[in-house]
Amino acid sequence: MGKVFRELIHYMDVTAQVIKMAVMTIIEYPSNIVGWMISNPLQFIMGFAIIKFVVESFGEINGWNYGQLAFLYGLSVISHALSMIFFVQGWFMGYYVIDGDFDRYLTRPLGVLYQFFFTNINIFGVTDLIPGILVFIYGCVKCEVTVNLLFIVQVVVILIGATLIRGGIYILLGSTSFHTRSAVDFGQYTQEIMDKTTMYPLSMYPESMQFILTYLIPVGWISFYPVSALLGIDSAYNAVLVPFITLGVGILVMIVAGVYFDVGLRKYESAGN
Amino acid sequence: MYILKTQIIKSMTYEFNVYGNIIMQTIIMITSAYFWRALYKGRGMVGGVDADSMLTYVVISSALSVLLITNVERRIQMSVIKGTVATDMMKPINIFGSYFAEDIGNITALVFQNMVPILIIGSLMTGIPRMADIRDLPLFILSVLESFLINWLIAALFGMIAFTAVNIDALIQVKKHLLRLLSGSIIPIWFFPTGVSRVLESLPFVYIYQLPLSIYIGRGDRAQHLAQMRIQLLWLVILAGVFYFVQNRVTRKVMVQGG
Amino acid sequence: MIDVQDLSKDYVQKRKDPGLRGALKGLVKPERKLVHAVRDLSFLIREGEIVGFIGPNGAGKSTTIKMMSGILTPTKGRVLIDGRDITRYRKEVVRNIGVVFGQRTQLNWDLRLGESFELLKHIYQIDQSDYDRTLDELDQILGIKEIIDKPVRQMSLGQRVKGDLVASMLHSPKVLFLDEPTIGLDVSAKFALRKFIKEINRVRKTTVILTTHDLGDIQELCERIIIINHGVMMEDGNLSQIVDRIAPYKTLVVEYYDEAAPEHPRCEMILHDGNVAKYRFLKNDITAADIIADLSKTASIKDVSIEEAGIDDIIKIAYGA
Repeated sequence: MGKVFRELIHYMDVTAQVIKMAVMTIIEYPSNIVGWMISNPLQFIMGFAIIKFVVESFGEINGWNYGQLAFLYGLSVISHALSMIFFVQGWFMGYYVIDGDFDRYLTRPLGVLYQFFFTNINIFGVTDLIPGILVFIYGCVKCEVTVNLLFIVQVVVILIGATLIRGGIYILLGSTSFHTRSAVDFGQYTQEIMDKTTMYPLSMYPESMQFILTYLIPVGWISFYPVSALLGIDSAYNAVLVPFITLGVGILVMIVAGVYFDVGLRKYESAGN
Repeated sequence: MYILKTQIIKSMTYEFNVYGNIIMQTIIMITSAYFWRALYKGRGMVGGVDADSMLTYVVISSALSVLLITNVERRIQMSVIKGTVATDMMKPINIFGSYFAEDIGNITALVFQNMVPILIIGSLMTGIPRMADIRDLPLFILSVLESFLINWLIAALFGMIAFTAVNIDALIQVKKHLLRLLSGSIIPIWFFPTGVSRVLESLPFVYIYQLPLSIYIGRGDRAQHLAQMRIQLLWLVILAGVFYFVQNRVTRKVMVQGG
Repeated sequence: MIDVQDLSKDYVQKRKDPGLRGALKGLVKPERKLVHAVRDLSFLIREGEIVGFIGPNGAGKSTTIKMMSGILTPTKGRVLIDGRDITRYRKEVVRNIGVVFGQRTQLNWDLRLGESFELLKHIYQIDQSDYDRTLDELDQILGIKEIIDKPVRQMSLGQRVKGDLVASMLHSPKVLFLDEPTIGLDVSAKFALRKFIKEINRVRKTTVILTTHDLGDIQELCERIIIINHGVMMEDGNLSQIVDRIAPYKTLVVEYYDEAAPEHPRCEMILHDGNVAKYRFLKNDITAADIIADLSKTASIKDVSIEEAGIDDIIKIAYGA
């Protein structure tokens, strides 16, 4: 127990230093900040506008009204932003594999995945967080949610679980490059698919697809099931239980991803010379 | 021609890339198709289009997106970062010309690799995406060519920004989002409120995706299409002019500085 | 200290035919080939040794050093450092090793050098007092403190390599792995680097394992060399003994006043160009002085010099060139 605790302190200590360095790097290149501050929020403001236009043209989407959609969208964007901060490197894992950049992580006394994600922590992800929170608050107001301690705990648990699910999926996709030895960046595609499946109600898709997105690629747990439960849209989902299922699914996906990554790492070939 | 051929070979090299891309693009297309199908459930015409036309729109839009991949902005950025701009520009061939050839080569490879499979899978799913009026085919092809050029010119112009502010990663993203959302590639702008869509119609983006797609699915009549193609052509001329102007300025600047 | 047992590494390599047809074929049915990069290497390295790995490109020396430092997982065999398997106990064992891989840096490109050191201090949990002491010590050898506030991206290659060396030594590892450390460096930077390696080996008893193509590195640093070719160990032993055994000759270069250069019965004339001639002779057969004496009987000599059978000869022979 004492050992685990000491280990944890060690990782936290390194994390603090890494974040400090990430912030210093950002300050080195101020022109980048402006670009990302425009680019990231823009994407989600537009996405949100599109939902509004769709609802205006088509009315409710599968029984979800505008406020509920905003709630869903906001929650989804927040977990997206968190996954961008901590796990976005997963998209680019292929380049690290090809360039032999895992060498450095392997010769240091810390977990390789930890170093991979945290020494490349993406503070810019915060620019996604802000529009997400704004839309989410808007959704809360529209749905007249009573904000109490339970609700806050539920939302936090959902967000942790959802971020882990997203992160795990990025790791799984990225780890394929150990076997293929090619640098492919599926980030944009993954993002596009996730947008469509987490920012709109999953129930609008055919059952076969719902099944896949619930059990095989558990994207449904990122936002659809938790929000259905929280807002009482479908009484089949228990509002107390579902957030914890999301968390459990998140942890499970992470474990599977971690194992798959480790298997891949054993096949790591560094950079040829 | 040589640049074009090497680029085709390069693009085909990683088989995983190829299959991965096809799978991903197909999934995106299927998701979009189901998305619209669900929205149209129990509804006839919305926004002047019925469900079948909308599915055709999705399939053709996915196929078209293969044609509209550009790499020129990254190439320019790389050559600025690595400091090879000056030597690149001294070469007897115009570097923008060679970037253009590379992009064409890339796309030629992708047409066989990605576009054909996407069209086949799309046809299996929604039925063959037939053109509304086959007599509009020349019009469609012409508008696709123009939209390709407009798209490339916009990308090249964005790339030129690299000459002033070295890191344009964020700007490339801005461009990508603007294009995705304002061009009608994901959602046609006729679903937008009239005010918004009128503004968008005066910007070049809708003429990249939505115009060819409208012609394909037969939304609006030929007179409207021709009117819009005139605006498309106008934008092409404007962008080509701006490109030519900026290119000369940039070239002179690089030559004076000597890289 | 380091115990390498039956170390082997296989790769699966995809073969691509050239041209458009090849690309198409690779798409449908890629050809795969098993490559034995390293085969059954076994050796022991004692504490405080400096061992040089030499061999042509693609011989497997980088693969070997990467397996020894825990980067690559061996297909077969194992590497024990201080009795512990580096693959199995990676996190603990790597605390005892430092790694510098030639062209690659572990320094943060955008920030001042000191910031990268600071991160390593946290990663290796180095006490402030130990950290200060080590840094002072390394500074005396390399003069690192004058560049510690400089952003890494503004450094010359030589400065950057210095930074990387110090970074790899901050946690006082027992073993230092260097993969082509002097590649691309200018003479003075090479000199500083060699001095550094000798000093840490002398003062701190750090075991040093390096791969190199630079003959100067080997001559200056290594008492022991291991020659690898085609993934197999060709030679392992004391540098001068190997030289004596594989290339037991020297070369005498003579410059005459005119172009007529005489032959010598116990030498092989390997070059005759204008006024200059080169004679190769066996070290334990005849001395250079005797040859010069003989030659000066028939021709007037302006200048002489002797070329030792160098590492390059060894390498040529060992590589089978």
